[in-house]
Amino acid sequence: MPQKEGKMKLLLAVLAASVIVFGIVLLINSEATLALDEQGCLVCHSNPKLEKTDENGQKISLYVSESAVNTGAHRYIDCTTCHTTAPHEVDTPLTKLSLAEKCGSCHEYEYKLHLDSVHGQQLIQGNPDVATCVDCHSSDSNPHSVIRVLEYNAPAYKKNIAQTCASCHDDQDLMADYGIVEKVYESYMRSFHGKAMALGTYELTELDTATCTNCHGVHDIQDPNEPSSPVAGLENLAVTCEQCHPGAGVQFAASFLGHEEASPENIPAAHYTEIIFTTLLTVVLSFGGIVVIAAMVRFSINRWRE
Amino acid sequence: MAVMSQAIANVKSPADTIKRFDIHQILQHIGLMTSFILLVVTGLPIKFSGAGVSQWWTQVWGGVEVIRSVHHFTAWIIVFVCLYHVGYLFYNLAVLKKPFPVKMVPGTQDFKKLIQEFRYFIGLSREKPKFDRFNWKEKFDYWAIFWGMPVMAGSGFILMYPVFVTKFLPGWIVPAALIAHSDEAMLALTWIFMVHIFFNHFAPGVFPLNTSIFTGRVSRERYEKDHPLEYEEIMGYKEEEEAPETASPELK
Repeated sequence: MPQKEGKMKLLLAVLAASVIVFGIVLLINSEATLALDEQGCLVCHSNPKLEKTDENGQKISLYVSESAVNTGAHRYIDCTTCHTTAPHEVDTPLTKLSLAEKCGSCHEYEYKLHLDSVHGQQLIQGNPDVATCVDCHSSDSNPHSVIRVLEYNAPAYKKNIAQTCASCHDDQDLMADYGIVEKVYESYMRSFHGKAMALGTYELTELDTATCTNCHGVHDIQDPNEPSSPVAGLENLAVTCEQCHPGAGVQFAASFLGHEEASPENIPAAHYTEIIFTTLLTVVLSFGGIVVIAAMVRFSINRWRE
Repeated sequence: MAVMSQAIANVKSPADTIKRFDIHQILQHIGLMTSFILLVVTGLPIKFSGAGVSQWWTQVWGGVEVIRSVHHFTAWIIVFVCLYHVGYLFYNLAVLKKPFPVKMVPGTQDFKKLIQEFRYFIGLSREKPKFDRFNWKEKFDYWAIFWGMPVMAGSGFILMYPVFVTKFLPGWIVPAALIAHSDEAMLALTWIFMVHIFFNHFAPGVFPLNTSIFTGRVSRERYEKDHPLEYEEIMGYKEEEEAPETASPELK
C-alpha cells in the first residue's frame, strides 16, 4: 500500500509541474506572431534609437517597429524581398515614387492603374503631396505597417475609406492648391451614403453603401473633369449610379448636389425649398414657443395666487 | 392621481359625462399617435446620423436597414390612417347624410380668440376666451395635418423610390424633397412635443393627461370650462326639447 501511495504522489507532482510549465510556455508564446526575418535584421533595426547621418548631415531613423511588421500584411515575406540582399548598399530613403515602384514589383496591376490615375500622374512629376500605396494602405504612411484591406482597422477597409481620403481631401489649404473647393467629406457624410455608413457597424453586411471609391474608382482614380472619369458628366454618372441603383437614369444622376450645398446656381429648387421651410419653421415654432411660455407663466401665477 | 381617477370615474358613470368623440375618431388618433412616434424614433437617427446616440439607437433596432424598413413601413401605416379619416368624413357626409362638420372650419373668431387668450396669458385681460367645440389650438393641430401629411407623404415617396420618380420627374425633385421632408418633420415633432403635449398633459385641469381622445367622453364640469359655447348649446337644447341631430356633440 505505501508503495502505491508514493506513486500517486509522484504522479500528482508531475501533473502539477507540467501544468505550470505548460502555462508559462503559453504565456510566453502569447506574444504576437513573429514576422519572417531570416537575416536577423530586427536584432538591430528594432532599436528605436537606430539612425544614420547622411552626407548632408541629416539624421535618418533606421527604426522598424517590430509590433507593426509582426501584424503587417507582409509578415511572411522576408525583409530582403524589398530591401535586396545587400540592403546596406542601397540608396535610402526611398522617394514616394520609388516606394510605389517597390510595391509595383509584385502588385504589377495595381501599380499600372495607379500610375495612370490622377495621383500617379502627379507622382511621376515628382509631386510629394499626392497619395501613393502606403498613404492609403498604412495608417502612418509606413510600408512596414501596411495591413490587409479586410482588417477592420485598415485605412482602406470600406468603413474607413472616407476618413482616409479626408486626411488629405478635407485639408482645405492643401486642396486649394488643386482647385478643389468642395467640402467633399462633409457633403458625403450629409448624403444618404454617408449616413448609412455612419450608422452602420464595421460588419461587412452593414457596409452595403457607397463610399468615395465606389464612384471615383480605386487605384485608377481620375480627375472628375476628365471625360473618362466615372463621375464626369451626367451620362457617366448615371452609369456609375446604376451599378447599385438598377434603372437609374440621367435625371436620377442629376439629383446629386455634387458635393456642394444647394445654392441659386446649384439645384436652385432645393435652395429655395430650404429658404421656404426655414422661414415656415422659424415663424410657426416661434409662435408656438411664445404661446407655451406665456401659458406657463400664467398657469404658474394662477397656481401661486390660489 | 385625482385627475386620473376622476377620468376613470367619468368613464364608469356616463351620466355625468358628455360624448365628444366616436370610436373612429379615437382609433384615428391612436393610429396617428403610434405611427407618428414610430416615425420620429426611426427618422431622427437618420437625420442626425453623426451623433453617437443615433449610432447606438440604430444598432438597438438591428442596423440601418432595419430602422429604414420600419420607417418605410410605418409611413404606409400613417398614410392609411389619414385615408381612413378622409374616408370616414366622406362616408358620414355622403352615405349617412350627416351635416358638414362646420365647427372644425377655421374663421376670424379663432384669430380673435387666440389674441384674447394670449392677452389673458400675459395679463392684459382677466377674461379667458370662451371656446366652442374646438379651440384654436385643436383646429391648428387638425389642419396642420392636412398640410403636413401631403408634404411628408409626397416627399417621403420621392425619397423612398428615387429611381422610379426620376423616370417621370426632373432630378432636382429629390434634394428638394429631402429638405422638405426633414424640415417639415422637425416642424411637426417640435410643435407636437412643445405645444400639443403642453396643453394636453401639463395645462391645469388636464394633468397628467387629457383622456377625452382615448375615452371619447368628457365630464360635464370640464366640458363647461373648456368648451362653454358648445356646452350651453347642448344644455339649452336639452332643457327645451330633445336635442336635434345637428347639435349632437357626437358629430363634428
